[in-house]
Amino acid sequence: MGAWTWRAFKVVQSLVERLPRSSAYALAVIAARFAWWFSPLARPRLEYNLKVACPELQDDVEALRRISRQNFRNHAKAYADLMQLPSMRVETMRARLKVTGLENLEEARAVGKGVLVVSCHMGSYELVSAIWSATLAPVSLFAEEVEPRALFEWYRETRARLGISVLTLDYGGIRKVLDALREQEMVITAIDRDITGTGYLMPFFGRLAPIPLGPAAIALRLGTPLLPVCCYRLQDDTYQAEAGPLVLAKSTGNPRADQVRATQELLRRIEGFIEGHPEQWHVPHRIWAGSK
Amino acid sequence: MRVGLVSPYDFASPGGVNDHIRNMGVQLQRLGHETRIFAPSSRADVDFDSARFYRIGTPIAIPVNDSVARITLSFHLANQVAAIIADERFDVLHFHEPLMPALPMTMLRLSTTANVGTFHAYARSNVGYYYGRPLLQPYLAHLHRGIAVSEPARAFVNRYFPDFPLHVIPNGVDLDLYRPGLAPIRHLRDENLNILFVGRLEKRKGLGDLLRAYRAMLPRVPRSRLIIVGDGPLRGRVESYIARHRLPNVVMAGYVPESVKPRYYNSADIFCAPATGAESFGIVLLEALATGLPVVATEVPGYMSVLEPGKDSVTVQPKNWRELAASLVILARDPEMRRRLADYAQQKAGRYSWDRVASEVIEVYHEARVALKAEPATTLEVSGVHHAV
Repeated sequence: MGAWTWRAFKVVQSLVERLPRSSAYALAVIAARFAWWFSPLARPRLEYNLKVACPELQDDVEALRRISRQNFRNHAKAYADLMQLPSMRVETMRARLKVTGLENLEEARAVGKGVLVVSCHMGSYELVSAIWSATLAPVSLFAEEVEPRALFEWYRETRARLGISVLTLDYGGIRKVLDALREQEMVITAIDRDITGTGYLMPFFGRLAPIPLGPAAIALRLGTPLLPVCCYRLQDDTYQAEAGPLVLAKSTGNPRADQVRATQELLRRIEGFIEGHPEQWHVPHRIWAGSK
Repeated sequence: MRVGLVSPYDFASPGGVNDHIRNMGVQLQRLGHETRIFAPSSRADVDFDSARFYRIGTPIAIPVNDSVARITLSFHLANQVAAIIADERFDVLHFHEPLMPALPMTMLRLSTTANVGTFHAYARSNVGYYYGRPLLQPYLAHLHRGIAVSEPARAFVNRYFPDFPLHVIPNGVDLDLYRPGLAPIRHLRDENLNILFVGRLEKRKGLGDLLRAYRAMLPRVPRSRLIIVGDGPLRGRVESYIARHRLPNVVMAGYVPESVKPRYYNSADIFCAPATGAESFGIVLLEALATGLPVVATEVPGYMSVLEPGKDSVTVQPKNWRELAASLVILARDPEMRRRLADYAQQKAGRYSWDRVASEVIEVYHEARVALKAEPATTLEVSGVHHAV
């Protein structure tokens, strides 16, 4: 099965890579519509998550449908961006990325202990981090190891071409994250999904969900500032990255309590991002108990 | 000084000559000179200050010297060029590959200012130069000073035009950009020994030999990785070779942006340049030396003008992949030797800094201006020849 997923992905990717950006998006919009109609699990799960995140959608079926359709479309466009990445000249795309809250990043850098960017699965984060890496500063991505292996290798090489180091969520990866932070680099990770299954149950949009404490633990250990960031697509298909105020993890002697406190503070910021742009939060996965 | 730099090649596609021009433009600007660049370009966004860039002509790809030259062939550029030259009033026009059609030749014919030409190419023979001699000679007479980037490049030009004097001024390398200690690509830094190749994937760069050598060395140095930076016409064949022989740990990075390239050098342990010939210089070697990487390269004339075998590199015969594999194995197993070569390499790279190269070039500009003043009146001989063509 894995090998076939990879082959199918590669065929579609080689096709999309050769298309102009506008045609790739057109194809993505069509694909998104089909996925929205026919996906057995993704849409119910996404809609469940959206209803938790935006309680006002619970009764408004029409609005929910509209937002989940837009969400699929944005997600498909993000995939099109990713597929075009191998041949894209990202270094000339700096003008397509607008950044707000740059002063927060400067403040984080001034601490001199690297920057741990905590984000969520939102917008074309692949492309935004690629533009960032190729034009501004080295970036490492602390992310899951997707299956099959060949697909993961492809992800890694595509990102590495643009200077993004891809570090996996295992012991070796964590060691490299620490190295990168010690050398004052920027490491990006997301906490809205518990991928390794070791998350700590805490309220996320008011309901208990497992949330990884890893980033807060690293921040406590090294004194690294945590910078909540989200990125999303604007109407004209340019990108906006938004950095919130820093979260500084303070040690009070009880490591677990400190981690939870810092993570909760981060989660509040991330909830704010998601509430602002629910149509761009691509998580068709199970987050809360009760989802399909 | 107002300086115009002229390139025959497509400015939007990467290559040694255009990198040279780009760096030269930046360096001259830094030293307080006003620079403009003239080049054909297949795209509007060339990643260069547009106020200082004139896009002239549309490039087409022509196979030459085991590679592909993207040059413009339209000879109808004269009016456009004449207007710009009259408007800009350059003190010096600096032609790169001055005998390459059509942009440098057209501009050379129309220029009334001090002309300097830099010859980059090297080949064993050149039919164009041989048969074109009577036509090209008058163009060459328009150059007040000539520069060759290396001894082989000089010998190559002098073989066809023996009386044309040429200074040898090497290519430069930006030592602020290429230096050790930059952030590596972290997931490539592990227990494996990384061998780096940088270059267009085309026959003359000899990647085929490197792949065979890598395959041969794998059983002896199992913990190694081959990183291939660059794209080109042979990409498909390289990928199928890797798949066919199930070569493990080969990273095809593809085209890497300039801003990221230094980090690839910083992720490597050994740099390998297996070109089969027809290289006049090898800028990649300078980049590797400046980063402090030990080099394994082939003994082609252009590379040998940069390298000192035994001090900063191990060199092997071109097209001999067995020898290449053996050298890689020896170097891979001897960290002490790698360190020694790397130390010397980094020290040596100082000689090729852009400040130094630019000041030598400016010296030549001054000489050319003196030569222009000493000249009587301009003749129209060249334009007569052009119309006869």
